Amino acid sequence: MITLQQTNYAFSLNFKGLIVGRTMEYLFEAFGDCMGLIFCFDREIYGIVGRSVVFALTATLLATLFAVPMGFLVGTRRFRGKSGLLTVMNTLMALPTVVIGLLAYGLFSRRAPLGFLDLLFSPAAVIIGEFILSLPIIANLTVSAVQAVDSRAILTAKSLGAGRAMVTWTVLVEARFSLLAAIIAGFGRAVSEVGSAMMLGGNIRFYTRTMTTAIALETSKGEFGFGLALGFFLLLVVFSMNILFHFLQGKGRRS
Amino acid sequence: MTRTGEVPQLELRDVTHRYNGKVVLDVPHLSIQRGKIYCVVGPNGSGKTTLLSIMNLLIRPTTGQLFFEGEPIQYEGGNRLELQRSMAMTLQSPYLFNTTVEGNIAYGLRARGIPRKDRDAIIEDALRQVGLRGFARRRARELSGGEVQLVAIARALVIDPKILFLDEPTANVDTSHIRQLEEVVAAINGDRGTTIILTTHNVSQAYRLADHVFPLFEGRLVSSTMHNVFGGSVKTSPEGPYFDTGKIQVWIPQGFSSASSKYISVNPEDIIVSKEPFASSARNRYEGTITQVIAQEGRVDLVVDGGEIFRVQITEHSFRRLGLNVGSRVYVTFKATCVHLL
Repeated sequence: MITLQQTNYAFSLNFKGLIVGRTMEYLFEAFGDCMGLIFCFDREIYGIVGRSVVFALTATLLATLFAVPMGFLVGTRRFRGKSGLLTVMNTLMALPTVVIGLLAYGLFSRRAPLGFLDLLFSPAAVIIGEFILSLPIIANLTVSAVQAVDSRAILTAKSLGAGRAMVTWTVLVEARFSLLAAIIAGFGRAVSEVGSAMMLGGNIRFYTRTMTTAIALETSKGEFGFGLALGFFLLLVVFSMNILFHFLQGKGRRS
Repeated sequence: MTRTGEVPQLELRDVTHRYNGKVVLDVPHLSIQRGKIYCVVGPNGSGKTTLLSIMNLLIRPTTGQLFFEGEPIQYEGGNRLELQRSMAMTLQSPYLFNTTVEGNIAYGLRARGIPRKDRDAIIEDALRQVGLRGFARRRARELSGGEVQLVAIARALVIDPKILFLDEPTANVDTSHIRQLEEVVAAINGDRGTTIILTTHNVSQAYRLADHVFPLFEGRLVSSTMHNVFGGSVKTSPEGPYFDTGKIQVWIPQGFSSASSKYISVNPEDIIVSKEPFASSARNRYEGTITQVIAQEGRVDLVVDGGEIFRVQITEHSFRRLGLNVGSRVYVTFKATCVHLL
């Protein structure tokens, strides 16, 4: 005899199965759409992908130029207030992207102090936002990377007659695998952020629209499937970039 | 200037170094002549590495002055880097950069701007000298402890240093590589005329390798070797001052001024071993048992447990004549004047 409780349980299982089944169907459909997006070679879609990668790479490159020397100095020097600075740097890693967007918006809007630069709703503004987001990540991970280098490396370099610049370069080379991981993390943060890109770039078609802002737009239009397909595409792009970085890491290890 | 009138290659005058307010090195004068092998011998924590790092200009001493071939060293914006580049040092536990053996050895050459095309022959020659031919392409991190030490020496050699500093070169090396390393050190000195300054806590090795041995104890150069060093305190009695180690009492000369000294030492050659007690002017005599016999080219080192552990050096002839062996009961005797206060 089937009790009410058992019936409810069976119903609950069926309902869950229905949901799981529909979810899987939805995901497969989105993945299929994603493949369609890849192989349709649509100019707009590839433009969005290209823009996302170029903006994120540019921001990451600029952030690396600032963050690595900064991280090196903080990691290797002893100075007053170092632990306070490290706490601030750690906090900045968790900075919400919309906060960056708001702050930068406040700086770049027409009547703001930097309004004369006319950067708002331009690719440069998106890059600046992504730069600010990836900078603390790369700087913090650089601090960890150089601190993890054996202290004998510096002593050995000096004892072999290396000057200050060569000693610095040697430490960075010894920390190269961790540094590359830091840069990859910075790139990941830049390419996946949406808040500041939306506020500073304005999601302008063929100009500042990136994959994340496009996903946000499609989702707001109720096109969840298409948004998810773009999300898969973004994941594939990041996955490809990571494979490239890991290939470079492997090459470094062998050399 | 030395007594022969030759300008020392490296000279330290009134050098002291403090660490956390504590004096860890105090060297009133030290003179290094070119082409010789010097050995700084002392126990762990005696200041050997600090002394080497100061001589290699890696550390600036708290006080005092260094002279390289008569020229005073200027640390800030002076000739330090240039002079440091004419020397090289290997660490006790050498650090090899995470690249190939070749990449490591080329480091000093790159620091000196030697073109890539000239490097290969120099690297090959250095690898040959240390007995590591064919190792150029090997990963540095895949080498054994002895090979790491030899690569570090090759890395230092390629820059053709005027002075080569080796900090405990055999400390982390298996016994099969120790003899090889000692031969390499002697060959470098013989073939190239490089001045070599090495540290060790192995007294036998120091005397085997070096032209001059500097015993270092608690940051001070002392006249005795590092065997038979006993800790304790100076005390007085109606018969004169003595040093109490807690296990034995050692008579020390009358009028010993350094009553604050915490260590004494006795040279192994100054101790007489006998099977029976004998009448003599020597005031210190202890009965003990031989616990170890070490044969050393023409002489024998005995380790005698006589309350404290004594190291005694006798000839092979005496060893055979007395019929000694491990477990033999013996007397160790030495004069109060043979006791050095450290």
